[in-house]
Amino acid sequence: MNGYEDVPFFQRLQMKHLPIRYKLLIHFLFITIVPSLMLGVLTDWVVNRVIERQLNENTLQLIAKVNKSLEFYMSSAQNTTYLLSYNPEIHRFLSREPLDAAAREKALQFLRGFPTLQTEIAGLMVVNARGEYLSNDMYAKAPVDLTLETWYQEAVAARGIFKIVGHPYKRSVTTHANYKDSEVVSVVRAILDPETQKVLGVVLIDLKLRVVVETAKDVRLGKTGVLMVLDEKGEPIYVPKQLGFQSIPNQWLNGQMSGEFVKTVNGRKLQFIFRKSPFTGWSTIGVFSTKEAAPEARQIRLYVGTFVFVVCFLGITASFALSHSISRPIHRLMAFMQRAEAGDLTTRYWGDSRDEIGMLGRSFTSLLTKINDLLQLTEKQEKQKREAELRILQAQIKPHFLYNTLDTIQWMARKQGAEDVSEMVQSLSRLFRIGLSKGNEFVSLAEEFEHVRSYLQIQKQRYKNKLQYTLDLDPDIAHCFVPKVILQPIVENAIYHGIKERRGPGNVAVKGERQGDRIVLTVADDGAGMDKETLGNLRRKLDLGADVQMETSGSGYGLANVQARLKLTYGAEDADLFIESERGKGTAVKLVYPLSE
Amino acid sequence: MKKSLLLSVYGILTLSFLLFLWHYGIRSGGEDGLGEPDDGLAGDMEEQYVMVTFQSNIDYWRPVMKGFEDAAARLNVAVDFRGATQYDPIEQITVLEQVIARKPAGIAVTAIDPEKLNGAIGKAVKAGIPLVLFDSGAEGSSAQSFVGTDNYRAGAVAARELAKRLGGKGSVAVITQPNQLNHRQRTEGFKDTIAKEFPGLRIVEVADGKGTIDASRQVAEDIVARHPDIDGFFATQANGGVGIGQAMKELKLSSRKIVFGFDTDKGTLDMVKDGTIDATLAQGTWNMGYWSLLSLFHLRHGIVQPSSEEKGGVHPLPPFIDTGITVVTKSNVELFYAR
Repeated sequence: MNGYEDVPFFQRLQMKHLPIRYKLLIHFLFITIVPSLMLGVLTDWVVNRVIERQLNENTLQLIAKVNKSLEFYMSSAQNTTYLLSYNPEIHRFLSREPLDAAAREKALQFLRGFPTLQTEIAGLMVVNARGEYLSNDMYAKAPVDLTLETWYQEAVAARGIFKIVGHPYKRSVTTHANYKDSEVVSVVRAILDPETQKVLGVVLIDLKLRVVVETAKDVRLGKTGVLMVLDEKGEPIYVPKQLGFQSIPNQWLNGQMSGEFVKTVNGRKLQFIFRKSPFTGWSTIGVFSTKEAAPEARQIRLYVGTFVFVVCFLGITASFALSHSISRPIHRLMAFMQRAEAGDLTTRYWGDSRDEIGMLGRSFTSLLTKINDLLQLTEKQEKQKREAELRILQAQIKPHFLYNTLDTIQWMARKQGAEDVSEMVQSLSRLFRIGLSKGNEFVSLAEEFEHVRSYLQIQKQRYKNKLQYTLDLDPDIAHCFVPKVILQPIVENAIYHGIKERRGPGNVAVKGERQGDRIVLTVADDGAGMDKETLGNLRRKLDLGADVQMETSGSGYGLANVQARLKLTYGAEDADLFIESERGKGTAVKLVYPLSE
Repeated sequence: MKKSLLLSVYGILTLSFLLFLWHYGIRSGGEDGLGEPDDGLAGDMEEQYVMVTFQSNIDYWRPVMKGFEDAAARLNVAVDFRGATQYDPIEQITVLEQVIARKPAGIAVTAIDPEKLNGAIGKAVKAGIPLVLFDSGAEGSSAQSFVGTDNYRAGAVAARELAKRLGGKGSVAVITQPNQLNHRQRTEGFKDTIAKEFPGLRIVEVADGKGTIDASRQVAEDIVARHPDIDGFFATQANGGVGIGQAMKELKLSSRKIVFGFDTDKGTLDMVKDGTIDATLAQGTWNMGYWSLLSLFHLRHGIVQPSSEEKGGVHPLPPFIDTGITVVTKSNVELFYAR
């Protein structure tokens, strides 16, 4: 069916050899799937970029806010240190004036007010240059010179500028409420004499880390991001436990004030977004796992993916449907043409589409019709040619002239007293008259039998006793029509090939009878007959039929002619000629054709 | 052949779609992120619990506040501290009402007066705010729990310790703050125990130290002046002890009088160390703060039994959480200093 079985399999997969259906299918699939896939991928990529950028910006802003909060607490603490230095009792203490109990109590009362109002203060202490201290909640663990403490020295080194010390590790001072070193962050400020710039003392404030923790924990970063705070040395101020590490190397921050980077820590790939506070020197760092996609991005990916799949689904369906709808008419046209090619010229293309395929089909149909018409025309012309030839043949014999001449001969014969001559001429006259029958194609069976009787009478004169004949016609069908001069050639054959060839006299029996809805005309002789071979050849010749018509010489001409005329008149299936013969016994020729009134 | 091709293509497509769905839709990155902190009881930083004190700047509250803060760190919630700066019930009521207006997640309050705060406490409970009392209770109130010392027992213990040191004979005076429930309970415990167990001891006076060192010192000196043969003192509160100690020091009587202080502020501890105060009672102040917040958290998050006391059911919280007392003498005073 494909018509290209001779093409090897892999060559068949080449584009140019693929059936149109698959060509179209591939093209359509390509057109629908590739763009939507590309669109999906592009959208996903762009959206992810956008979301990531927004997230990062968002995080930076959050971190900035956290930094502001922390700076606020620090600012507050700084203000406290200044407020403290303005208090007269504290000033006296710092100037190393001895304080009596009442003054001391007043100073302590003043100090007490700060942690009450600023609950982020865990402890507050004022130390003067002699190492004496005032505090409600902090005290030296052992009698040490507080001026030698690291934090004191750092405050002095800062020359009156507020400084954040960080976690108070290895300190000789402790808070009575037992805050652990990791729970507080110390800040200090040296109080200087404004005129001499000498250090009068140092204010030490312990701030609860809780406020940092609360600020940092309150922030939600993405789904599972956390905040951590490191001081300027990279020491942890607050690091949530679930990170699994305590600190990150300072060089990762690259000395910048804000930024982001991705690093692998403890086997996990993490993204860090940080912002440093210029005031506190602390860096607030947001930490995310890079594997976590923002839920929005995930959602978008899900939707885009679903969209792409749906489009692909629809695209595939549409591609199949479209390619089918185009290739099917083509197939039908192809099938129709193959039927016509196989010989069925009556097949027609049924389709009403106005497109190219439809036009092709209709053109081909009209082509077939024309061919059919041409064939029929040719047949008709052939028939006409034959009829014309016949007519010419028949027209060569001008009837009037013939009749007159025969009449003259007959009259001359009678005048001479030759009755037998007169009779023969009469028979001949009859023969010609019926044979021509004014140009009609058909005569009645009665006339045809008359025709053949005349012929036989003439022949009897010649053959005398050698020829016997009988004529038998059913009177019921005597009026039925038959092509003229149909029996005479057969009888002629019977005489020349049958009777003449045998020893002794022979009989020719001509019969005309009705069998059902058919007329059967039989010419039987008991002449020499034919042997099987000859009979076979004859029959074969007859079967070949119309092609052998114009052979004038050679045996069977008459029979072939008779058969051809019968078939032309009554149709090839309804009329036929049958021969039976046996060498030494005789021959019988039967003509069968349908009865028509 | 065409039909089966189409079907197989559909099949592949559907399969890959389902795979995609599963990967992106259902298996949504639970394991991918950093993970949540795996605390059992976990709250939200948005929850804020407030502690309301009186005389809010005294050092006594610092350990309580620390306990509160430590609990908050564990539970991942926020805390805030408010209080009356003076010893003034009106001020504390005002502060409490202001706190109630902010609708915190819970309130822990120490009552400056056992009755006067009941109204405000009732308002908080009615507003659905979990509320517990600590240190100084208010028995008639609708607070859901009291976290603090068994003050009556504290007084009893003090009586026994004092009696031990006096050999069961002598006269003593009590310096207290008669308006506070906890002090009253301690005084009662002291008095009842003396009366029941130590008939040889006599309480000559119960004086008001006004809660300050100065006033207590004055009162102590005054008592010595009027009862020169007094043998010992019992202060129901830290400043009282320190004031008495100072008075003894000034009068140079510290070695001759037995002083029984209260609480473990630095002043008292120092005096225990140097012998001015013979013994003091440590309260579980850190525990007061810690278990207050825990109780509030449980109430807030509905981790308690549903039936409430009002409906005649089981108490949602233990009505009294005893934070215990310890006798502190020179032998164990070091333990009570901050590390």
